Formats: sequence, structure tokens, C-alpha cells
Amino acid sequence: MTQRQVAMVIDLNKCIGCQACTAACKSLWTDEPGQEYMLWNNVETKPGPGYPRYWEEGGGGWNEAGTALNPGVLPLKEDHGEEIPLNFDEVYFKGTQEILKQEREMGKGANYDEDTSSGDYPNNYHFYLPRLCNHCTKPACLEACPVRAIYKREQDGIVLVDQDKCQGFRECNKACPYDKVYFNYVTGKSQKCIFCFPRLEEGVAPACARQCPGRLRFVGFLEDKDGPIDKLVNQWKVALPLHPEFGTEPNVYYVPPMLPPRFNADGTFDEEEPRVPLEYLRSLFGPQVDESLATMMFEMEKKQEGKSSELMDLLIAKEWKSLFGIPDVKVA
Amino acid sequence: MDGSRLETNRRRFIGGASAAVLGLRYGTVAAQDSSPSAYRRWEDVQRNKWTWDSVARGTHGTNCTGNCAFNVYVRNGIAWREEQQGEYGQSESDVPDYGPRGCQKGLRHAKYMYGKQRVLYPMKRTGGRGEGHWERISWDQALNEIADKFIDYNVEFGPRSVSTQLGTQMVLKRASFAALGRFATIAGCEVPEAFAGVGDLPIGVYMTTGVPLLADTMAAVFKSKVCLIWYCNPAVTRIPDAHFFWEAKYNGTEVIAISPEFTPTAMHASSWLNPKPGSDAALAMAMANLIIVERQFDPAYLREQTDMPFLVRQDNGKFLRETDVLGTPDARDNLFYIWDEVSGKMLEAPATGAPKPPPGSMVPVMNTGSLKLEGIVPALEGEWVVNGAEGPIAVSTVFMKVKAECQKYTPEYVSEITGLNPQVIVDLAQKFGAADPGMIFSGYRICKWLHGDLMQRAFLLLLSLTGSLGKPGGGLQIWNMPHEADQFAFMFSNLPPTLRIATMARWDYTHADHKKLNQQMYGNELAEHVDEYFEKSIENGWFPDYSDVKWKMGIYSGSNAANWRASGKRWRSEAFDQLETIVVCAPDMGMTAMYADYVLPVAHHYEREDFMLEPRTPYVQVLDKAVEPLGESLDDFAIYKAFAKAISERAKARGIAPVEDNFMGMPVTRDFTAYYDQFTMGGEMQTNRDVIQFLIDHNHGLPQVSFEEMAARGMMRNPGTETVMYDTDSPYGSTLIQAVRDKVPYPTLTGRQQYYMDHDWFMEEGETLPTYKGPLSNEGYPLRMLQGHARHGIHSTWRDDSLLLSLQRGEPDIYVSPRDAEERDVADGDLIRVFNSLGEFIAMAHVSSSMQPGMTFMYHGWDPMMFRGRQNFGAVVSTAGLIKPTSLVGGYGHVTYRPLSFEPNATFADFTVDFAKYTGE
Repeated sequence: MTQRQVAMVIDLNKCIGCQACTAACKSLWTDEPGQEYMLWNNVETKPGPGYPRYWEEGGGGWNEAGTALNPGVLPLKEDHGEEIPLNFDEVYFKGTQEILKQEREMGKGANYDEDTSSGDYPNNYHFYLPRLCNHCTKPACLEACPVRAIYKREQDGIVLVDQDKCQGFRECNKACPYDKVYFNYVTGKSQKCIFCFPRLEEGVAPACARQCPGRLRFVGFLEDKDGPIDKLVNQWKVALPLHPEFGTEPNVYYVPPMLPPRFNADGTFDEEEPRVPLEYLRSLFGPQVDESLATMMFEMEKKQEGKSSELMDLLIAKEWKSLFGIPDVKVA
Repeated sequence: MDGSRLETNRRRFIGGASAAVLGLRYGTVAAQDSSPSAYRRWEDVQRNKWTWDSVARGTHGTNCTGNCAFNVYVRNGIAWREEQQGEYGQSESDVPDYGPRGCQKGLRHAKYMYGKQRVLYPMKRTGGRGEGHWERISWDQALNEIADKFIDYNVEFGPRSVSTQLGTQMVLKRASFAALGRFATIAGCEVPEAFAGVGDLPIGVYMTTGVPLLADTMAAVFKSKVCLIWYCNPAVTRIPDAHFFWEAKYNGTEVIAISPEFTPTAMHASSWLNPKPGSDAALAMAMANLIIVERQFDPAYLREQTDMPFLVRQDNGKFLRETDVLGTPDARDNLFYIWDEVSGKMLEAPATGAPKPPPGSMVPVMNTGSLKLEGIVPALEGEWVVNGAEGPIAVSTVFMKVKAECQKYTPEYVSEITGLNPQVIVDLAQKFGAADPGMIFSGYRICKWLHGDLMQRAFLLLLSLTGSLGKPGGGLQIWNMPHEADQFAFMFSNLPPTLRIATMARWDYTHADHKKLNQQMYGNELAEHVDEYFEKSIENGWFPDYSDVKWKMGIYSGSNAANWRASGKRWRSEAFDQLETIVVCAPDMGMTAMYADYVLPVAHHYEREDFMLEPRTPYVQVLDKAVEPLGESLDDFAIYKAFAKAISERAKARGIAPVEDNFMGMPVTRDFTAYYDQFTMGGEMQTNRDVIQFLIDHNHGLPQVSFEEMAARGMMRNPGTETVMYDTDSPYGSTLIQAVRDKVPYPTLTGRQQYYMDHDWFMEEGETLPTYKGPLSNEGYPLRMLQGHARHGIHSTWRDDSLLLSLQRGEPDIYVSPRDAEERDVADGDLIRVFNSLGEFIAMAHVSSSMQPGMTFMYHGWDPMMFRGRQNFGAVVSTAGLIKPTSLVGGYGHVTYRPLSFEPNATFADFTVDFAKYTGE
């Protein structure tokens, strides 16, 4: 363990898939040549193949005993989609092309399946899943790096690829079961989310969290007793890691989604079965998802009855700053 | 799905190969950074990336109305990136704060504004319209040539032959809008009004309350107990506001989404109801019926605030008026009666019968008195015979009529219309009836239906019955607008108030032969019916006649009209291309600019100063100049100032005499040589900042500070706007608080929330009361096509941003249900032809089970330039000629032509389509 571990909790019940986090990250960190296809932060519709497509099937991570890495697959560039320029000049100013389009075919991009629902209407279901590097406690990427270019910072647990040391072997790309390491085809090095460490060092929350208009990303240190992370992860136990079976011990946690009730065949509400099949949620967040959802429902009902709920107040976050349990937090 | 299986197989194949590579393991390395304080050069490289030279406050002055406070970071003279300012602080102690308002579009702007779609210098068309061939010209040349044409049209055809069309890129920037309004006032141009023009005008709300717009800040949503998000999708369309709904849900509010499709809003709602498209009024009427039957309504509220106790004659269905009772020549036709339960007598309804305003007044009714019921109890139910001038008259009440109308809407009957289970309807009515108060959060989408006014009236009926309208945390939430005192002061300073606003639906009807369009799309009977009333409304003098003058010149400022006008190509050929001269002032190219004869470059959001006021937040928001305008672009004020100067100079040089004009009977002299002097108020207004300060000084709802101070802070709290409707000290409309709290009569014919319209035309149309009328269809085309504001664009702005396109499908897509796709042998990702009797367009099928079978859905705003054949969704929107007779009524109290309040609202939703796999190319 590092001295401290920074962590994030993402409340999926507030995420509207607006991609403000994606855009915020892109402008700040990945707008250079070679980074066109990189989204260190992305939001994908679940169930769905996600970004890169079918990343969950690509292997990587640790074996069940946690003693060795599982084999992993190199994510394909074309499975990421890409930001492609448009032919503005040809259409608007030169009059040589008829209609506006990307300069080349995009293929199935990072959010191709946006709002593509699963199941049958009116009992269909889908939700948004924002993803970034999990800054794992047992990072498979770090383990896999042949030249020890990847390190986990002692002061905050952020996992980084040292661009001076990386030699582009891409073993980290294969090892990360979340496919959250990207290869820069121009510099020939692997790159990934840096948890906005330059901001964090100044007491400013990462761009994806601070710039989230949904107010749904909590940031703080796991060790801070009674900080928002500790409360949601350890005390209320409503925030869960994604695919805990990958064995990397992620430090990004999710409050799982509760969708509105299903309909019975006659159009009345089905109060028994949740709209998102529990099996599916368990496959994402592990068996603890049942308890998390039960706690959420119970606390929400308390509020409906006019009682108080610390958990609900925490998630409402009347004061925006309360999302960020960073010492000396600065928001501007 | 086959596609995904193939991809998975490929993945597995590669996976097998890669496992072998992994056999060469490098051994376990320590999972820790052994030297935490070790200096790593590359970390500094990253730290240096997050640095900048200067910061400016700003926002995006486009028509998303988000009003989000941003910091714009400038590096090496370039707007490098933006980040939400965020720190709003809690506006009230018991509601979440507004930070950090923003969205992905705003966060793309620093990149987008340097995109190759920017207009950098004045351009003159050299090829055919739409061909994209231009000659770069100087500002002087452009303005002089345009000024000469402007003068020529004015002299030959009069000022009305020129139209200035103000689009959503600039109307919300208050100084910009004021400047354009002043120019139009000086020049007497026709200004086609885009509020009703885009189908946003809630005329049903106006009919009922005397004001078109009702809404509070988002704090009201957090305070609501039951919130019906009805035919509205704020998770997509109100990104910075959406959190309040889910936070309200966490706080115990029941948030119920009602929409045919499973929207991103429904995803997070407490429950979701899925009525068939266009059936919403029937659902509301069924709920109203149950609330009446279960006696969950609020009689005291109805007696005081509504026309429900007003007496209605049983013989002719008209209100009982003083003219009926006295029959004397001076008897008033706006004095009404109630039956008092206390005295058992008929009494004059309080606060009715006030003198009517003089002809030409800005307001159609001027009610006086108080709604307060001093010791009387107006009966809601009963039948009486009263003495009339010509004998006894049998009367009952409006409430009795409402009750009878509602009785038709049994849960079983409405179940057939909506497809909802009857018990679900009963439960919803029960829940809403018990809510104290109830809220309906809707938006402009309900205004797009031909019978949207009836939906609004039915929604309002529910809210009035439950006494929710005008109570904190309740009521109808559509939209609100700031009081325009500051802008009108600027537009009309030292000028006669001759701003010539035109109704788009009526202008197009006259000049683009929409009678013929109606005949072709909906048959002779409907076409003749609309036409009969249209002509009669002109004969009666209820609406101006546009047929005598046709526009020769159109000046489009920040307007991408060719993107969204209904009927697409037909409008472009019948109306747009008929203009002899088209001038487009725009920051970015688009379909409209492609048709222009002159394109003039406008400064973008980070290159200019201005400020905005929007009702969902209690803050005034500044746009400050972060960087100099790109290329030769200028702000709107600078452009119109230069244009006014060119007109004056050319008129002097050419010796052009003044033109005599007539504005609604008022003679006005248009002296071109004086335009510059008039526009600048004798030279006082030299820069956009002068305009801004003028507006601040004339807007009492704003903090009275200098623009410099405002700009330094970015956003400032407005006094008294937290719950917009409830505070008379706010810069927003406060009709409801004045009525509900202070008992000031509503600005309606009856001085009440008016549910009964006894005008002959409402009677002939069967619309005296809220009721349900189904949407129109195109015969032979089975699928309803719904539209809505997009997640990844604000109208056409940012729709062509390369990152945002990469987060969609890279080209326009349309959502279809799996059943409808399968029946047409269409798979997800196929290109399809979407067509009806008007036309067709081609888009990618996005197959999703979130769609109700029988409907398709397309986010709007995709520019025609992005479609094969340059035909976007407008190609199938056959509704352009649909005008309701009831929207052409005049002289009926408040129901009379009033721009932005009462005029025909353009229809966009009443059409159907079919689709098939596209096999071209």
C-alpha cells in the first residue's frame, strides 16, 4: 500500500451521459497528434460493447489467486473510434464537395451504441458508465511493464507511465483488463489517465470530476475517515468497484444504477423484478451489488417518508464542494 | 446480433495469438514506487501543460439558455480551454447549489471556435447559391454594396421589403439583441419573430393565464413533492439543470417521467409512463376527471383564481355578461357574474368590467380591482334561472362544463387512446391529486403539436384543480423570459416604437402558398377550413395582411433558418430562394450561409462582451472578451453600426430623399442619412460596452454595478429571483405571484385563469374547454416521427464538432424500434430512406428498444449540409401550413394578436413517415 490512496466514487444514478467529463479531459490532456483516438475518460452505454469495443472480453488482470497476470489482448486501434476532421474547407469555401462529413470513415466509434437499449420495450434498460483509469492498488499494467516505466506514487497512489522511461512494449496495454492504457502512435509510448495529478497537487479536483455538471463524482483519499469516499465505500458500502474479479483492486467506485420499475404484461407496474437484471449488475459490480441497491432503496424510502438520511444527503451534495474531500480543496 | 459476434470472434483470435506473447513474462516487479520523492522530469512536462497566460470570464451566448459561468484560459493568445467557474455557492440554504453549470458543448468551444467552419472575413458569392464559391471582399465593399441594395429596395418597395431575421446565436446576448432591435426600429424592416416561428410559443398558456411563459428557477424542482416530467427530456436538453431532478428524487420527491420513448430522463425517474405520441392531453383530462370525481380538487383556489364559478348561459353557451343582464347601450361585455352561496344571489364577479384600454395600447386588457372574495363564496356547481334584460336566463357554471367535458375521459377510454393500463392512470391521478403542490415540468416540445395549446390547457387544468399553480414547488414549468424593459428602452430611445414584428407562420402561408401544401398533405377539406379562417381573420382586421409586400432582402443574424424550417427543400425554393438579396451574419458556416449573397463574419462567444439573463438560475451571466475576434470578425453591434453608417453615407452620396412610412396608422419618416446618428444615439453609443452599460442602467432587476465589476466576477446573483414567479422584485414575469399572493387579477378577459373560451371560433372548433384532439397523420405513412433538442448540439451549433461527432455515429442517425426495423429488413447502422408524401431524407438507422414501436425519433439540429442531397429531417415535416383557427382570433379580451404572446404558432409534429433501407450509392 502507498501512504495514501486517492479515489473516486461515481454515482451512476446521476449520470446523464453528457460527455462533459470526456470533453474536459480531452481538451486538457489529449489534444496532441497521436492522441486522436484516446479518451482517458469516456462514457459508454451499458449493456454494450463500450470503449474500446468489447473491452471486457480482452483478458488481462490477475488470476484468481492474485499471484500472476492473466493473458491479455492488445486492444485494436480501430475499436476505439477516433476524432476525425471534417471537410469544411472543401464544402464551405472551395465548393468541391457536396456534403459535410468526416474526412474518412469513422467506423464504430467510442460511443457508437449511445442509448442503444437492451431488452424489449417497454422493459428495455440501459445506463451510462463513465470510465477512467482505476489507479489500482494492484495495477496489472505496472506488473506487466518490462522496463519499470510504470509507477504508483507513494503520496497519492496515482499510477503513472513515465514518458521518459516507456519504450512502447505495450505490455501494459494488454495487461490492463479495463483497456485504459493507450499507445501513442506518434511518440511510440503508452499513455493513460494521470488523475490530473498537477491539479490534485494544487488542491484542485481532476477535470472530469470538477467539471461534471451532474455533480456525481466524489474525489478524496480512502484513508480520510468520514471523508466522502470512506463514507460511501466503507461505511454505507454503496459504492463498488467495477469488475472486482479482475483482481486489480480499483480505486474508482460506482454507486450502481436503479432504473424505474418494469411493466407487467397488462401495463401495471412490476414491483418485484428490477428493470436492470440483477445478474447483469452482479456481473459488473460483483455480488455486493444486492446489498448496495437494498441500502439505496431503504434510504430513499426514508426520505420519501419525510425522515432524514445521511446517505441521501451525502449523494445530493447540496454544497458542490462537499464532493471533493481533498485537503485545502480549491474549486476555482 | 451478428455484427458483434463477428467482432468478438476476431477479438478471440487475436487473444489467442497474444497469450503466446504473454508467455514471455518479465517476472514480478515491486508494485510500489520505491522513491516517492524522486524527481521525474516527465511529471513537470505534465504540470506545465496545465498553465495559462490569462483567464477571462465567459459563457456561450447561444440559445441553450444554460447561462453557465465559465473561465476561459488563454495561452499564447489563443483561447486554449475553458472550465466551469463553478462556485455559485448555495443560492438558498435548503437547495443544492447551481455549480458547476456546463456541458460538453461548452467544453468544446475553445477548440470549435478555431475550426475551419469559421467565417473569417466578408465574402461575396461568385457561383450559384449554395455552391460554396466566394470572393473575399473588404468590409467597406461589403457594407457599401449591401447598403446600396438596402436603399434601392426601401425606395422602390418600402421598408417592409427588407427583413432582418434574428437567430438563436445572438438573441440571448442582451446587447446584441438590443442593437439589432434598434436597427430594425430605425429602418422599419420586418422582423419575423422566431419564438412562434420555431413552434415554441405556448399559446395555450397565454389563453389561460394571459402570459405565455411560466417557470421558476431549478430550486423549485428540488422543493416539489410530485414532479411530472411530461413530454420533456431535461437529461438531454437541460444538462446543467438535470441534477436537480435526481437530487429531488433522493430528497423524497416522486419524479415521474411521461414520454412515449424511454428517454435518458426516464432512466433516472422514480417511474416512467409511456403513452402513445400525442395522447398527453387525453391522459391529463382523465386525471382531471378522477380528481374531480374523487373530490381532490381545491374549491377555495378555484373560486378565487379561476373562471370556474363564472356563470354561463345554457341557451347559447356564452358567459353571462352585463350586456345580457342590463341590455342598456353602456352595458359592458367584459363584466361577468358568479352565484354567491352566502347570499344566495347572483353577483358581479369581482375585478371584472374594467374599462378597456384605448386602441393601439401595448396591452389588450387592463383589469383592476382584487381577486379577494370579501365574504362571498362563488358557487362552483349549480343551475339557476336569473333575470336578463330580455327575460329569464338559465345558467350554470364553467366548472359544471369542465366537469362534463372531463367525464368523457374515463380511465378505460383514455387507456385506449394512450395505451396505458387504466389502473396506472387512476394511481397517477390519485398521486397527483394528493400532492401539495404538484408540478408539471415540460418544455417547448409540447408546443410543436398542432393541438399543443390543448395539451397546455389540460396540464394547467390539472394544476388549477389541485391549487398548485402559483405555489412554491408546484405549477407548470415551461420557460420564462426576463422583462424586456432595458432592451426596449435601448431599442426605442429617442425613436417612435415602430418595431415591426411579423409572424412567420402567417408570412409563409401567404407567400409560400401553404394552402396548396395543406391540400397536398392533408386534403382539401382541411386546407379549405384553415384558409377560410385565415382569410376571415384578415377581413376582420384581427391580423395584419402580409400579401401586399414581399421581402426582397433578408438579413440573417446568427440565424440558420435553412436548417430548421419545416418542409425543407420546398421552403428553400418557395420562400428563401425567392429573396433577391440574402445577407448572413454568422460566426460559422452552415446551410443558411451557403445560400447567402454576402456572408459577414461575427465574433464568437469568447471574442466579445455581453451579458445574459435566463430564468432557471438566479444569476446574471457575463461574456467577457478573452481573445480578439478571429480574422476580420466583429460583434453584432459593430456590424450594425457600420451598416447604419454605410447606409447614411451612401444615401448622402446618392442624394436619396427620406421615405414616408406608416406604422399601424402612425406616419413615420425614414431618413437614411440619419440612420447612423440615430443608431448611435447621436454618437453616444460607440461600442458594444456602451450598449451593455445602458442596459444595466435600465434594468432594475440586475445588480446595479459597472460592467467591469460584473465581468470581473463572471456571474452575479440577481436580487429576488430564486423562485422566479414569486418575487415581484425579479427581472422575470411574476403574474402568478401577483395573482395568487397579492390577488391582482390576471391579464385575461375574465381576470382569472381562464378555462372557458366562449368566442364563436372556439365554439365552432369545439375548443371552448381543455379537451383532447389527436395528432394529424399523413395518410399511408404509419410511423410517427418525433424530434427533440439534441444532447450533442445546440440547434445546429457544435453539431459538426469533430470530437462530439466521434462520440456519436459520425453522421446523422435516427432512432427506430427493433420491431419496425425488422419489418423493413433494416439492421442497426443501415442507411435508411425516411419518407412521406412531402419528401425524403437519408440517415443511419439507430435501432434501439427504447423506442415505442410505431415511432421514430430524431434529435434535431443536424444541418442539411450533413445529409445526402442536403435534405435533413425538414424534408418530411409537412406541417408548415397547419394553422389553428383559434390562434387567429382577435378582439376577444387578451386573445388578440400580440407578437410573442398570441399569434399562430408554427406546427412541427403532426406528420407521419415510413422508412426503407437505402440502396443508393
